[in-house]
Amino acid sequence: MKKSSLLPVLLAAVVLVAACQKSTHAPSPDVRVVSRTSLPADPNDPAWSTVPVHVAPLVLQDMVEPRLIQASTAQVEVRAISDGSRVVFRLSWADGTKDDSVRPAHFSDACAVQLPAKVQTDVPAPQMGEAGKTVEITYWKASWQASVDGRKDTIKEVYPGAAVDHYPFEAASLPTDSDAQKEMALRYSPARALGNTMAGPRKKPVEDLIAEGPGSLTPAPAGTSDGKGLRTEKGWVVVLSRAMPAGLNSSGRSQVAFAVWEGSHEEAGARKMRTGWVPVVLEKKS
Amino acid sequence: MARVHNWQIGREMSYWYPESRPSRQFAAIFDINKCIACQTCTLACKTTWTSGRGQEYMLWNNVESKPYGFYPLAWDLKLLKELGPQEWKEGTYEGRTIFEAARPGERALGWRPDDIDYANPNVGEDDCVGQVENGAGLEVPHLNWFFYLARICNHCTYPACLASCPRGSIYKRPEDGIVLVDQGRCRGYQECVKACPYKKVFFNPMTGTSEKCIACFPKFEQGLQPQCFVNCIGKIRMAGWISPPDKARPDNPIDYLVHIKKIAKPLFPQFGLEPNVYYIPPIHAPSSFLNQMFGPGTEAAIKAYRNADDDLAGLLALFGCTEKVMPRWKRQGDMVIAMEENGSEMLRVPMREPVHIRPAFDIRHGVTRTNCP
Ligand code: SF4
Ligand code: SF4
Repeated sequence: MKKSSLLPVLLAAVVLVAACQKSTHAPSPDVRVVSRTSLPADPNDPAWSTVPVHVAPLVLQDMVEPRLIQASTAQVEVRAISDGSRVVFRLSWADGTKDDSVRPAHFSDACAVQLPAKVQTDVPAPQMGEAGKTVEITYWKASWQASVDGRKDTIKEVYPGAAVDHYPFEAASLPTDSDAQKEMALRYSPARALGNTMAGPRKKPVEDLIAEGPGSLTPAPAGTSDGKGLRTEKGWVVVLSRAMPAGLNSSGRSQVAFAVWEGSHEEAGARKMRTGWVPVVLEKKS
Repeated sequence: MARVHNWQIGREMSYWYPESRPSRQFAAIFDINKCIACQTCTLACKTTWTSGRGQEYMLWNNVESKPYGFYPLAWDLKLLKELGPQEWKEGTYEGRTIFEAARPGERALGWRPDDIDYANPNVGEDDCVGQVENGAGLEVPHLNWFFYLARICNHCTYPACLASCPRGSIYKRPEDGIVLVDQGRCRGYQECVKACPYKKVFFNPMTGTSEKCIACFPKFEQGLQPQCFVNCIGKIRMAGWISPPDKARPDNPIDYLVHIKKIAKPLFPQFGLEPNVYYIPPIHAPSSFLNQMFGPGTEAAIKAYRNADDDLAGLLALFGCTEKVMPRWKRQGDMVIAMEENGSEMLRVPMREPVHIRPAFDIRHGVTRTNCP
């Protein structure tokens, strides 16, 4: 008797929770950057459940060679929070395969957020900007996340059965961590010697980049972005935190674009799924 | 796509960038008949350049047995199959190059080896094409044959690696035609690995960038031949400069062998890259195989090689004689002379080494001589 009288109350509560969730999760036509006093650094932070989601359909990058011919990732869900000085984007998308290996011919899953460097009425081309109209990009890569999370960058880690006779920089005559030893190691790692940000060692799973058109991608002079990606049952959820973009304030609208790379589909560089510009609005502080 | 001239295929072809030949072009001749597959070249390169982390599997120089040896696995067969049967007609290639056969959205027809394809660099080593039956005699061409193919980057006139890089991270040096991957700029998209038909760009998993043979440019800039050349036990290699055919100079050793005597042939010229490593074809393999691999004219090349006159024999004697690049040469009677660009003598080599015949029994010491070292 008692049980049955409780049931309608429970049902009503379930309906209420569902309605609540629906109202906060109803897809927003633009990316709404919600103001908060603190920024969530984790993709699973409960703060994200109260933020409106924008569902951005992805299209093929088929404007410049090498073009992507066959579509892969269909859409990316975007949420955003700002504390007034930084903004954090949370991207999540479905991906049936976890691709975070560094093996040759195996590509890493990745995603990126792109914004115009300056506010201007004439916005840069959404595809990597254009000459004189720079875009800023924050890029996250699953293989970098794995390194930051503790995977060692050694051949044994990638191929446990690998046998290596000798590295010249591990010669007995070179004391470990001595300057001479480090210099010798650098000689056999030309990309690292030249300061190529691809070459590690990695401290963050993200990189700040700028571009002025396809093929012009360059590391940003000073990058303050950070991020974290987590593998879920269905795909990836990644937070990307960056400095407040130019022109993103409560009185105006700016643009943001997104890209997703599916490693198992051999996507890298220009071979990617992307959006055009999506309007982004900073919500007034309540 | 631009229209460029490729003399190796005897016609104009499509290429991503307009024709822009370097002021001088690095080139090399490998005499396949002298190669013993000792892999000293492979190790010379390995110890000099690729002993770092992420370079473990890389062989910028490798030597494979043909027809069943490959590094990486089936590198040539896969592309030949993708390209399909194509035609040459009297020195002109009428088929499609890899640039002309590119798939939609790409700049060159290619395929990317999987990591496992690099796992067996000695696959097929010393395997000949068939069983050697009992009673088989030695004939030329051999009934069953194989030969050693030493390979480095071809520092192509029309590099597919360079054309395919969407970032322009690969460049061909205007002063010597050496093709390099800018290690500061590469972002590891591996488009070049896919596009190079010779599979001579390698992805370094520890730096996330692609790396390749650099023609030992720090040596070459000083007039010295690369490591894999000077360490070659069989003295099969010569590095130098090649001119376009209309500017060929008989006193340039490379020009003489490629353009004048026409005994050295490019590797798979039909791919359309105008590769700059030239091979003196093996004399004992069938011409159908050699023509597929080195283009038309291999029979004539072999004939000229087997019937070498004094000039040709003299020049071949200069292979492996010095670490220095020999820009010019001449023959004087029984001596062959390597010269600097300005004509001054670098060294001279007798065409015939003096022969000393020693009796089998050494009377002075009262012992029988043996040939043991
Ligand atoms: S052989 Fe391959 S790597 Fe070397 S220049 Fe030619 S295309 Fe590039
Ligand atoms: S030329 Fe130099 S870098 Fe190239 S394969 Fe030979 S030794 Fe290696």
